[in-house]
Amino acid sequence: MKTLVRLEITRTLRNKKFMFFSVIYPPALYLIIAGRNSTAEMPGLAIDMKLYYMVAMAAFGAITAVLMGNSERIAKERETGWVRQLRLTALPGRGYVTAKIASAATVSLPSILLVLVTGAAVMGVRLEAWQWVAVALCSWAGSFVFAALGVAIGYLATGDAVRPITMLCYFGLAFMGGLWLPSSSLPGWVQDIGEWLPTHAYIALGQAVEAGDAPHAGDAGLLLAYLVLFASAAAWLYRKDTRTA
Amino acid sequence: MTSTHGTAPAVEFTAAGKTYGAVRALDGLNVRIHPGETVALLGPNGAGKSTTLDLLLGLRNPDPGGRVRLFGTTPRQAVTDGRVGAMLQSGGLMEGVRVRELVALACDLHPRGYPVDQVLEAAGLTGIAERTVGKLSGGQEQRVRFALATAGASDLLVLDEPTTGMDVTARRSFWSAIRSQAARGRAVLFATHYLEEADEVADRVLVLHRGRLLADGSAAEIKALAGVRRVSFTLEAVPDGIREAQLRALPGVSEVELAGAAVRMRSSDADATVHALYALGLYPRGLEVTGLGLEQAFVALTSRAEQGGEQTGERSGGQAGEWTGSAPSSAPHGTTTPTTDNAHHKAATK
Repeated sequence: MKTLVRLEITRTLRNKKFMFFSVIYPPALYLIIAGRNSTAEMPGLAIDMKLYYMVAMAAFGAITAVLMGNSERIAKERETGWVRQLRLTALPGRGYVTAKIASAATVSLPSILLVLVTGAAVMGVRLEAWQWVAVALCSWAGSFVFAALGVAIGYLATGDAVRPITMLCYFGLAFMGGLWLPSSSLPGWVQDIGEWLPTHAYIALGQAVEAGDAPHAGDAGLLLAYLVLFASAAAWLYRKDTRTA
Repeated sequence: MTSTHGTAPAVEFTAAGKTYGAVRALDGLNVRIHPGETVALLGPNGAGKSTTLDLLLGLRNPDPGGRVRLFGTTPRQAVTDGRVGAMLQSGGLMEGVRVRELVALACDLHPRGYPVDQVLEAAGLTGIAERTVGKLSGGQEQRVRFALATAGASDLLVLDEPTTGMDVTARRSFWSAIRSQAARGRAVLFATHYLEEADEVADRVLVLHRGRLLADGSAAEIKALAGVRRVSFTLEAVPDGIREAQLRALPGVSEVELAGAAVRMRSSDADATVHALYALGLYPRGLEVTGLGLEQAFVALTSRAEQGGEQTGERSGGQAGEWTGSAPSSAPHGTTTPTTDNAHHKAATK
């Protein structure tokens, strides 16, 4: 299983085009959305705009990389028959899911770090050393949840359906979870739903750290629950695929 | 039927069927394959070969009532235990990695994996070990699939049309590699529609047609079963009163073609036919008794099954034609009818 994890990471790193755009896209978006020297207060939040969007864009970029990368690649691998071939080895279902999450994490980490570097170097964000480390770790760990979701979608959908389904999850989660606009500026019913979305809990981790607190246990718990849910769904779909396809 | 682990057959299908919607892809298959056997699964497209292999490998489950066991356990368990190595026709390869890396993965995943270099060597991949998987030719890809299937000490090797895309030389060296696998006491099951492969490589041939097992025996037995031996000779002086009907009445004869003095017959019991021929007082010259290829045997078997079978709507014309694409070309003069037609004719006269 370790060999598969290593191999998945190796080939992800070799895919230079995918790496480049996945890594460049989030900091670019951060610069565009937050603008330079933006110290505008965010309604109902203890942090200002550049802090808010640093975490939001780190999250958004990580989600882009892991969700899109995983779902489409897995759907493709199912079509070419590689997954079928892999199923004829002693590899357990969780091994495949683990390897996919690991390779996704390889892509998300540099994109997260680059957003933070942009925050510090260009946007003038100043945080304590422990906060930088904590924000990076929270953003990275949280991305595993969406990597698992990507695996599940890759197993759920085939061919042409993969991209629309991925996009729907991606935009829905990003918008309603408050990645593009702060939740407080969204309609009430969206906020009510958004509170329970993994994206909301995801950025809440980093925001708590930016405000000088420890991440809230509730957010971490919700994310963990989603991770278990998505990973189990992925493993279940893998087995179901074995039965019917 | 609770056989112990040690003595259990490598493969055991018990009333295994598979239905997709209204299509009965496999109809109550009963087969046992034992360690050390090399078995060919022969049949045209749509005969149920792939379904059989899918059930065998646990990629699909048989319909309720049927059962598939490998070494006395479930297919999935056997695969997890590393007892099965499989080479799928549709088996895609991981992209963006090198040949060596991929084979190393297979060796690592196998509970009793071999050293990578050994597997690469046996599959003839040493020279292209550092090449990227996406940049291989069809034949090279097949060799990689073979390497994946033989990455460890499995007890059963399953190959689905393994030589597709290989040239003649590659095919030959491939089968010699398979033979050396079989020589180690492994059971080998391969699906093919190259009939000469079944003829040359397998010690047992299963003929599958429309989801049913038509025949199960050695290649020679299958040929005999289909009643195909050609007896040909010339009669320099045809005695009066010798008619086609008399020749047709000889034991074992299923078909007679007379063209002047040249006679060609098909017989299921050539010995008896020839014996009776002399008994008629005839002196055949240039007597030749030749076994027909498995191909003709196969066509005869399947078209017979179709005539006797439940489905009369679709005649086997297209299907048999596909199988005998090259056969009719051997007709030097008007007396030899193409094999396909012979088979039909024969079946029709039954």
